[in-house]
Parts: sequence; structure tokens; C-alpha cells
Amino acid sequence: MITTEGLINFGINVVIITIKIAIVLGVTLLHVAYATYFERKVIGHMQVRLGPMRVGPHGLLQPIADGVKLFFKEDVIPENADKVVFYLAPVIFMAAAMVNLSVIPFSYNFVIADINIGLLFVFAIAGLGVYGIFISGWASNSKYAFIGGLRSSAQVISYEIAMGLSLVGVMIMAGSLNLTDIVIAQQNSIFGIFAIPQIVAFVVFVIAAIAETNRTPFDLPEAESELVAGYFVEYSSFRFALFFLGEYIAMFIMSSLGAICFLGGWTLPWYITRVLPFLSYVPPVFWFLIKVYFFIFFYYWIRATVPRYRYDQLMAIGWKILIPVALANIVITGLVKIIL
Amino acid sequence: MTVKNFIKKIFFIEILKGLALTLSRLFSHAVTIQYPDERRPIAPGFRGQHALAKHPQTGEAKCTGCGLCETVCPSKCIHVFREKGQVARYEIELLRCIYCAFCMEVCPYGAVVLTENYEYSDYSKDNLYMTREKLLRNWDKYMSGKKGEEYFARFWRPKSEDLETTPNQPVFRGRKR
Repeated sequence: MITTEGLINFGINVVIITIKIAIVLGVTLLHVAYATYFERKVIGHMQVRLGPMRVGPHGLLQPIADGVKLFFKEDVIPENADKVVFYLAPVIFMAAAMVNLSVIPFSYNFVIADINIGLLFVFAIAGLGVYGIFISGWASNSKYAFIGGLRSSAQVISYEIAMGLSLVGVMIMAGSLNLTDIVIAQQNSIFGIFAIPQIVAFVVFVIAAIAETNRTPFDLPEAESELVAGYFVEYSSFRFALFFLGEYIAMFIMSSLGAICFLGGWTLPWYITRVLPFLSYVPPVFWFLIKVYFFIFFYYWIRATVPRYRYDQLMAIGWKILIPVALANIVITGLVKIIL
Repeated sequence: MTVKNFIKKIFFIEILKGLALTLSRLFSHAVTIQYPDERRPIAPGFRGQHALAKHPQTGEAKCTGCGLCETVCPSKCIHVFREKGQVARYEIELLRCIYCAFCMEVCPYGAVVLTENYEYSDYSKDNLYMTREKLLRNWDKYMSGKKGEEYFARFWRPKSEDLETTPNQPVFRGRKR
């Protein structure tokens, strides 16, 4: 039964959600632009260099210059590429990364779609992103891109298992798949964050998240020194930028998933707010972003430190170590949950 | 696998050490010198672009055109031409020069010298072919005044001045005037 009141409520909801989407998209795209700047600066200083310095004060306008450059470059399409699929691949990759933003709770009540299977949804869509990578590798009709695509699909699928299993412990402790509920469950728990009781799962998650987003030391799909750029080697101009955006958004998603599931999302553990009560006046989204940026910084830090693994080592770490460890963690967490 | 190795492995000791190292580097001072804005200090005695020294009093070129530099030059990039007892042309091919400073060392008058200028890249070969006029201009530009005197005292002083003969040794001491 459609009533006027119902229609007005619906309209208001649509407007609110649209505003939320606009804010999230805007902030994320700005974040991606400056995440590249941040990465170059961090890695530069870790290698005792300066990083970008020429565009604007301390190179602050570098991301804009990069964006303009990418936008105006010639869009080269290989002659023997499968055109339709070639066009489609970056869009799939980017869209899969972007859709995940809809279930991430940035703060209490600030989530675009508060669905009950948030965690599963993130997994499913992250899995879809592999299609973008694999299709791009295949459609380019280039051996480097193809090998990159193959490697990426094998790697992402193997590490998705380890990552899913590591988060099962969190699901057991929180008793929910809803990301907001997981954060609230942490707020009410003794330790305040799940990273302390679930330390094993946390370590597994961090390693798997690096592999899942194809970052160093697990960046075999794009292995610069052997595959040039991996699956997107034939892409140029704005299609290349879409892959780039997708990768950084995927990194943001994985970082926020880590912050939500293990570090308490936008909340602070009760013992910190008890000691320093004034911290509770800081807007919660601030704490969320601090945690996310800690993760992102950690990604860069790892990249500046650890060299790339061999492919068989990568697979061995995933299947022989991370998955058994994550399984053992699930058993122990389950037993503790039953006993207590 | 020993227990120690096992513990090392499961707590990522080696990786943590690496992370600590990179983190400490993050807060160290970068070694980059941002070239057009900042420049490396030039060490005294730097061997840059050439110049022909001018006499401090008369303001004319010290070069007499003896051709020692042309002879000693290992890359054969100096060309000296004399006409009617005068130096007609004195030319240096910068693109062939290896900056060994043999010419500077061999010169009995400290007439051909190397300045501190190292920023002379150019699009045309002709601009890098130094004529006598250009070399004299270089002197005014980089080495005139105090600096040239100081460099002369420290680096360009003809080596022959250090060589002395005993007074009773028969040597040619120049034509008496």
C-alpha cells in the first residue's frame, strides 16, 4: 500500500543515501589521489630520498599533475586485443573495488548499506575483482599480461581462503556478520579490540590482505622486474588510471576491514577512554581513519622493507602455513566460546 | 629446525628487524640535493670548463702560444696557431676534453686554467667549441680578481718555479738585456 507519507519517507531516504554516496565517493577519490602521494613520500624517505618535491610546496600538487597526465595521454589499444573485453576489464575491477565501500561503516550510523552479511559481501565482491584482473590479462593478448592475470587469479583465490578463515574467529566472537555489529561487539568485549584475543587471526589477516591486494612482497601479478607491469601492461591513459584507482581503493577496503574487524573500527577500547576521558569528544570517524591510515602506512612500510617472494614460496605460505594456522585458530576460538 | 630458529620464524624476527631499520631511515635526513635550487659545494681545485688567464696588471692573455698544452693533451683537443710571433688562434674542443688538467700543469705561465664552471650543456656543438675570445671571457666570468690569484697560488703555479739549479751549474739563463 503506497501512502503519501511512505513516499515522502522514501524520498528522504533516497536523498540521504545519495548524499552519503557522494561524500564517500568524493572522499575516497581524494584519498586515492593523496594515498599515492603519501606512498611516494613514505617510501622515498625510507630510502633516504625526498619523494615528489617539484609540483607545489613539498610536491603537494603532484597527484593532480599525475591525474592530468593520465587523462591526456594517448589511449593505446593493442591491435589483436579482444576489444569489448578489453574495455570491460578495468571497469569491472574498479567497480568491484568501489562497491565494497557501500558496506564499510565509517562511523556509528554512517554506512551506506547496513546489511546483515556485510563481511560475506566484502569477500564476494573482492572475489569478483579477480575477474577484472584475469579478463584484462586475457584480453590484452600479451604474454606478460596473461602470466600476470594467471598469477593474480591463483594468488587471490588462495589467499581469499586464508583471509576468510582468519575472519571466522572474529565472526564467532562477535556472533554476527554485520560490520556495525562486529564493532559494537568489540566495544562491549573485555579487551576492547579483537586484535588481542585474535592475535593469530590478525597476523594471518594482515598477510592475506597484502596478498589479496597484490602489494609487495606478494606483488607477483605485476612483478615489475619480470612482467613489466603484469596484467595491465597493455593499458594506457585513463584505463590504466582505473586499474590504479581500483588497486588503491582495494587497499583502502582491506585496511578498513582490518580496522573494523580487529582494531575496533570507530570506537576506542574502554580502558583508553577511562584513562583519558577527553578523547571521547573526538568525532569517532577520526579514530576510524587513524586506524585505516595506520594499516595503509603499514602496507607502504612493508613494501619498502621486504623483497618479493618466489611464486612457489607464495603458494606454500598460503596453503601450508596460513590456512592451517587459521583453521587451528577457528577451533580454539570455538572451544573457548563453548566453554565460557 | 632448532627451537631458536622456530621462534625466529613464527615471530617474524628478521622481518621485524628490517621494519625497524626502514622506520629509522624514515626519520633520517634525506641525502637528495635538489639540483637547480641547491648545489653541492665545489671543492677547491675543481676541474671545470677552461679559461685563458689574463695578466693582472696589463689585462692581456698570459698565453704565449708555446704549444706545450697542445703537445701534452692526451685527447688532442687543444689547437694553437701562431702567426708572426702572435697567438692567432687558441681553440679547445670541449666535447673531446677529458679534464685531466695536464695542460694546466704543463703551462709555464699558468696561462690555461680550469674554472669551477660545470654547467655549460648546450644544444649545439658550435657553442661547445671554445675559441680564444670565449676562453678569455670565461676568465672574466669565473676567475677574475681575488679568486684567480688564490687559485694561481694554490693550483696553477708553474711547476718549473719549484725547480732550482745550483748557482755554479752552467745553464741558459735567458738573453741578457
